[in-house]
Amino acid sequence: MDKIFVFRNYTVEPLFKGMNCSFSGYDNISDIDDNADLYVWFYLLPIKNNIDALIQEVEDYHNRVEIILSILPKNKTKIFFTINSIDTINWENSNNELQCAINNYNEFIYSKSKEDNSIKIIDFTDFTSQYNIDSLIDWKYFYMSQIVINPKLAVPFNNWFKNKLNAILFLRKKCLVLDLDNTLWGGILGEDGISGIKLGNTYPGNIYLEFQNNIKLASQSGIILAVCSKNNEKDVFDLWDKHANIILKKDDFSVLKINWNNKADNIIEIANELNIGLDSMVFIDDNPSERALVKLMIPVIEVPEFPKKIYELNKFFKNVYNRYFQVYQLTNEDTKKTEQYKINAKRSDLKKKISFDDYIKSLETVVEVQDLDDINLNRISQMTNKTNQFNLTTKRYTSEDILSLKQEGAIIKCISVKDRFGDNGVTGLIILTPSKNKEEITIDTFLLSCRILGRGVEQTFLKYIINGLIDSEFKVLRSSYIKSNKNQQVESFYNKFGLEEIDSDNGVVNYKYLLSQKHNIDNKVKIINNER
Amino acid sequence: MKDKIKQVLAEVLEIDINQIGDNFDQNDCVKWDSLHHLNLVVELETAFDVDLEPEEIGVMTSINEIMSIINKKQD
Repeated sequence: MDKIFVFRNYTVEPLFKGMNCSFSGYDNISDIDDNADLYVWFYLLPIKNNIDALIQEVEDYHNRVEIILSILPKNKTKIFFTINSIDTINWENSNNELQCAINNYNEFIYSKSKEDNSIKIIDFTDFTSQYNIDSLIDWKYFYMSQIVINPKLAVPFNNWFKNKLNAILFLRKKCLVLDLDNTLWGGILGEDGISGIKLGNTYPGNIYLEFQNNIKLASQSGIILAVCSKNNEKDVFDLWDKHANIILKKDDFSVLKINWNNKADNIIEIANELNIGLDSMVFIDDNPSERALVKLMIPVIEVPEFPKKIYELNKFFKNVYNRYFQVYQLTNEDTKKTEQYKINAKRSDLKKKISFDDYIKSLETVVEVQDLDDINLNRISQMTNKTNQFNLTTKRYTSEDILSLKQEGAIIKCISVKDRFGDNGVTGLIILTPSKNKEEITIDTFLLSCRILGRGVEQTFLKYIINGLIDSEFKVLRSSYIKSNKNQQVESFYNKFGLEEIDSDNGVVNYKYLLSQKHNIDNKVKIINNER
Repeated sequence: MKDKIKQVLAEVLEIDINQIGDNFDQNDCVKWDSLHHLNLVVELETAFDVDLEPEEIGVMTSINEIMSIINKKQD
């Protein structure tokens, strides 16, 4: 870590705890550590109420800064804090002389920084404005130890200062990887369609619109954008073509990974394509299990918590920006620095990568199988009407339809899925219709909500059902895939599962399976029987 | 409580907790200067959720003093 020498006029040591710092004497500019890597000028406006004396003092800081600049090594970074009035009585409200002197001083150091690239400015009000005066100063510590800024603010100060340093030293992250559904807009594009997603000038679409606007501005400040989303690529391309309000379009992103692969693999590909380190990426996704997957499989990537309240999305953006992407100044020289940094960074160590199976296990998914009942009836009907993507036959049923299917002898089972992030509720359904002679049985409907896909629930559920059919002495299982506009992701689900394709005609594929051998159900997903 | 105080002392003074005996005081540790004393007060106030007064801070020069003062505060 860089060695820092701090010029100060009050006790500030606690604020720099844990950093490699040494300190000048109070108000002392003569004993300087020549071996420091960077110098910080952190003077606070003296705590006193004699306005004339204060003005004189602030004016004198100009001279001290000039002297210091003439002594300090030219090539080393010098950081100056601005001064602000923290606690002064203004004896005459019309008098703004002190404020003028402070403004003059701040102007002066900013102008110095424009003349000399090794001089950087940190606006101290950026920190103090987050606190009221009573938390900013603890008078006990002030009178006992000459401490102005409350030592109990050491941790937030430390984080704030490190972010500022990172900005100055150009250690910002390079790439923002973004999910789409419920992140860049409200709703699920594959389910709700272009006109159904929330993105526009009214609540809550206005939140997402502003979020896109902020990200666009960030990209103009040199941050690379990438998409990593589970969607049909065509749906997203259509959206980019057709949506009237969308701000972030195809061309704003350097890499697009819009597919159904696991997101950690996609992000690794993004890093490879951009030739940047995984440790220079930040991943934003509303879905906690996706975030956990990525964080677990790529420990070096930053994965900030997504806000629970969507109206805090842009506050969240500001925090993410300040934490990971602050930059002091974008000059040509700095751009070159980024290039060098890119070359040095290269790819991070992936040895820590865990297997996908381990990740699935770590989710602790529990699938509870339920029979149709009064409580889940409406949900079952709703799922047949709303679910588009993982839906093999896309048959739409009212509650009355469901009840008459049941009367005709159909087996109707749904699943409720929980994991360590919470309860997803009833999110999957199968409807099976037996033949008259009870020899054969047909999958009429098989669907799962996209929230729970990609962790083996779909296979486990079907294996469990098949084992049950064998117990009930059915001999043959029949099923079909009926192509719709939105269900191509399950086009070959039954093929991969091992059912035999018997014919295919006009978007309908029929399958047959002999019910003889039971399936082993592995322990990745736990299944609980709650049937009656 | 003594163990918790020892823990805070060890962290603030950056020494091994085993070096802190039951009668540990300021003379046992050269690192325990005024700046570390200040950090110690900040950490004790946070750890025990108390506000220490300057008079108390002045006499908190040993683990036993610290304990008796915090005990009184918490009553």
